Amino acid sequence: MSLLFNLLKTSEKSLRLGNLILIKNEQKIILDTPNCLAYTVRGCVPHLTPDNLHDIPLIEAVTVTLEHFIDVQPPPSTQFPGGLHKFLNFEKYFLFIDIRDSGNIKAVSSNADKYVSIYTNHGVRQVMFDSYIEYMNIYKPDVFASLADKITDEVPSLKRIRKSVDRTLKWLDNALSNVKEGIHVFGVLTGHNNKEERIRSAKETAKRNVSGFVLNGNFLGNTSRERINILKSSLDNLPSNKPRLAYGLGTPEDILLGVSEGIDLFDTHYAAKMTDAGHAFIFSLDIKNDLDSCKQQKTINLWDTYFRDDIQPLLVGCQCYSCQNHTRAYIHHLLNVHEMLATVLLMSHNLFHYTKFFKSIRESIDQGTFSSKAERFFKVYDDEYKQEKEMTENSTTVILN
Amino acid sequence: MKSALSWKIVAKCSTTKARVGLLTLPHGPVDTPVFMPVGTQGTLKGLTPKQLEELNCQIMLNNTYHLGLRPGQELIEELGGSHKFQNWNRNLLTDSGGFQMVSLLKLARITEEGVEFQSPHDGTTMLLTPEHSMSLQNSIGADIIMQLDDVVSSLTTGPRVEEAMHRSIRWLDRCINSHKKPETQNLFAIIQGGLNIDLRKKCIEEMVKRDTPGYAIGGLSGGEEKDIFWKIVSFSTDMLPKNKPIYCMGVGYAEDLVVCSALGVDMYDCVFPTRTARFGNALTSKGPLNLKSTKFAQDFEPIEKDCNCLTCKKYTRAYIHMHATRETVGCHLITLHNVSYQLRLMNSIRQAILNDEFPSFIQRFFKELFGGKDNYPIWAVNALKSVNIELLP
Repeated sequence: MSLLFNLLKTSEKSLRLGNLILIKNEQKIILDTPNCLAYTVRGCVPHLTPDNLHDIPLIEAVTVTLEHFIDVQPPPSTQFPGGLHKFLNFEKYFLFIDIRDSGNIKAVSSNADKYVSIYTNHGVRQVMFDSYIEYMNIYKPDVFASLADKITDEVPSLKRIRKSVDRTLKWLDNALSNVKEGIHVFGVLTGHNNKEERIRSAKETAKRNVSGFVLNGNFLGNTSRERINILKSSLDNLPSNKPRLAYGLGTPEDILLGVSEGIDLFDTHYAAKMTDAGHAFIFSLDIKNDLDSCKQQKTINLWDTYFRDDIQPLLVGCQCYSCQNHTRAYIHHLLNVHEMLATVLLMSHNLFHYTKFFKSIRESIDQGTFSSKAERFFKVYDDEYKQEKEMTENSTTVILN
Repeated sequence: MKSALSWKIVAKCSTTKARVGLLTLPHGPVDTPVFMPVGTQGTLKGLTPKQLEELNCQIMLNNTYHLGLRPGQELIEELGGSHKFQNWNRNLLTDSGGFQMVSLLKLARITEEGVEFQSPHDGTTMLLTPEHSMSLQNSIGADIIMQLDDVVSSLTTGPRVEEAMHRSIRWLDRCINSHKKPETQNLFAIIQGGLNIDLRKKCIEEMVKRDTPGYAIGGLSGGEEKDIFWKIVSFSTDMLPKNKPIYCMGVGYAEDLVVCSALGVDMYDCVFPTRTARFGNALTSKGPLNLKSTKFAQDFEPIEKDCNCLTCKKYTRAYIHMHATRETVGCHLITLHNVSYQLRLMNSIRQAILNDEFPSFIQRFFKELFGGKDNYPIWAVNALKSVNIELLP
């Protein structure tokens, strides 16, 4: 199996257009970058059965979280003979694994030199650094993130930050020397909010034989710009020929800023979060002239009774399954009566739309219009916090019985 | 009365009273005997209409009571009816709304005028009359609509049962008179009369005079003795006209579907397959599997080997065990399988009747489902004996 990263275009700042090509057996998966990996919970894309996921053609890659399904020992999934791709029915996707949930990292008791604490369905567990590699050698993902000593403290000491960088590097060395051939490793960059440590982590990781880098924007900064600025000290010290994946960057603003600083891969946790809040994406990178003058909405809240008799699709002109078949009025009704089809239809649309957003980003980089389009985007759309505030006021409750 | 359906019997079993029919409704054909899954609020529990079509579902239910509350009559009419609202281009059946009044609402009171109940929203007293039920069902626009009947628990005895039977006949007349769309919607009468053969007989005689497009056997599946249940069903199929479809309400367990089909029933509905799915139970020809159980944690077989549904083709029991009752996808996968199981069972019943092999099908079916003859339910043995099938020779 081989994994190749090609940079097709770079521009003035750190903007990059590329592709990640995975070849194994008869299979070839091309992941054009910038792009997103579908976020999963317990190995499934939330709310979507495989046929519904299949209807989102731009999804090529998934990210799977180990802590979601190792509450039982030994994890049943490690006993399955066909590997994790087959167990999760992700055979046609590029499969990436990390140990902690990229979108929802719960603070748990601290890590130690030999283990990482994780949060499972049955409470907090410890995973030894060597058993993590054993799992990976059984699961055979296409790529996995090496273990990281993630900091979840509010105000960590410098000592703690240094410790985290050291441990993460040590675990990376161990992963690289014990991983089976054909499985690729991304090194995780740490250093929290300390510039020197971030630089040290980036430079040291870059010296190793990793296939790419993971940056974690969770727990850093309060705004997109703050988060990106902190990550920038890592990004500036990475070689350009390897892909960079970032967590905790989900809003369109996060994505646009992240892309302009040279991040190649994101996850779709934000789409899942907005779906659970009953929101549908309507933002676009291609803003028509007449919209310039007024602030625009990036999402619509389908809980709003305003939509009770609205027979338009979620987004006029959208080619997703939901928009081709269902109305806002129906989805509003489904939310209102707590029916599970609501989140199926919203997730179908939101993921479809999110992948299209990445496609338009790639096209604009190719055409040299990215920077001007991103600038317009920031000018036209409401600030990101208004929408997040609204979101916390509503949340979907799904009745399972 | 006017009818918006055609129904022809395609094949008859030479041993039992079973028959295969082709029911043609305004939104397309329905092969009978048919199981109709229940999409209470205008959606079948997380499945998309496309998934239902792929399962070859030809008809499903919506509940009038629920749709009448939300989105409400005015809105559903404004939006063009329930088919359009949920983008379901195949057939729909709606109930009268009366059953939920009695089953869900503690404070329902039945008068000659209708069912009086307290609104679950603001507590005000509301009245569901036969006229109101018809008006609601006309707005929803299902292909088959049901009369408002006076439902009493099947465990009730005494004069109340007779009163309910007579009232159901009077309410049928009021439904017929107020039904505004007989050219596009088929009104079915509902036979009442409790567990009393004489009352059932009287009810059928009167309702058959009204010549509705089809007939339902109501007031059963409420916890009565199964030996009485099947006798009422069998009596009803004997007495009802042979050229009309017969619908047994609230029936959905596999063995009930097989037995009732042998007794001559053509249509069924039940929330069981979809409800039990949400508790993690998958239906199989060997009985249900509770996939929440840790014994499936390392079981890498599909739910059923010979099932061709998406769930069985793509996933193991171990995978579904991880998700059952935790993730909506777990519900969706089991719901998909259970609906597929029900429809597949009905298809094999139809194929067996078409090939005139229904008796041997029944023998195999019981053997597989119950494992051994010791486990056969006596009522089913008795019911099948009445139609010339000896399960325990």
